[in-house]
Amino acid sequence: MRYVVAGYVVILTVLFLYAVQLVWRRRRLARAVARVSVADGPPGAPGAGGVS
Amino acid sequence: MTAEPFVTDSATATPAHPPAPSAPKTVVNPPPVQSSRSRAVERVAGVLALVGTVTTVWLGLWVTPPDAAQGDLVRLVYVHPGVAWVALYLAFGLAAVSSVLYLWPRTRSLFWDRLAAAAVEVGVVFNVCTLVSGSIWGKPTWGVWWAWDARLTSTAVLLVLFLGYLALRRVPAEPDVRARRSAFVALFAAVDIPIVHFSVNWWNTLHQGATVLNPGLTLKIHGSMAWTLLLGFVSLTLVFVWMLLVRYRVGVLEDWLDANELGLALAERQSEGSGAPGPAARPVGVA
Repeated sequence: MRYVVAGYVVILTVLFLYAVQLVWRRRRLARAVARVSVADGPPGAPGAGGVS
Repeated sequence: MTAEPFVTDSATATPAHPPAPSAPKTVVNPPPVQSSRSRAVERVAGVLALVGTVTTVWLGLWVTPPDAAQGDLVRLVYVHPGVAWVALYLAFGLAAVSSVLYLWPRTRSLFWDRLAAAAVEVGVVFNVCTLVSGSIWGKPTWGVWWAWDARLTSTAVLLVLFLGYLALRRVPAEPDVRARRSAFVALFAAVDIPIVHFSVNWWNTLHQGATVLNPGLTLKIHGSMAWTLLLGFVSLTLVFVWMLLVRYRVGVLEDWLDANELGLALAERQSEGSGAPGPAARPVGVA
């Protein structure tokens, strides 16, 4: 049974860590896009903020 | 990149309306905003994937009976074929189809290139899960962690080929050039997919034959075991869909930043030349 548990743990851990990394990467990029659009456009321009 | 070339105010201004020296504007591409529908689809897929995966684990570890021949080791079969299905057929298959659609002149669009890149990255993660879980199943069953068996070897070769695809995408190039060469590599790598699938029929292998995707498409497993296996397939497919959506979005944001950071850099150089202050806040550390 320990091989079975090890198999489940490996699969679920790898998928979970990849999912967390994806969400974190998207948030970081969305923040960077918002910063660039705010820095480059006039205040209140479309796209200034609200990027997800 | 399908984005329009960068246009600066100074380039488009007429003599009657000279640009204000303190406000050089560069980026004309609107930032990519995710639609509420796409966000809702992503959320639903995520919740269903989570519920399905938790249910599969519960059924697989606690509810289904041990197998007469394999004992408790059969419980690994509820997840191992599922991750293999996602990696081989969904992810790498989708990457191959997307690459063909990119190379086909009538359907050429960077959408297909981004989709292929997203599918390959997610597929590589699932391929690693396939090899590791198969190896963990093989040790108590065959007595070894690894055998140079046709199915195992061809699956490992597939992983190396698609790792090469991801490495190639990191080589600096124009988006169209990168997309074209990536599409060719994806198609070259995809030749291995049918080899992996038919390896158990073409060669005398240690690996057992297909339980579901066999030539007659007949289930060789029954009762609660069959339902748990099928639920595992569905749940892992939903996990793939959710990851694909998020990874595609990451690609869109990366491409937008790559293109618009160049525009910002040009604006800074222009403002240095004219003595005007450049854009206030350049992002740092954005890959």
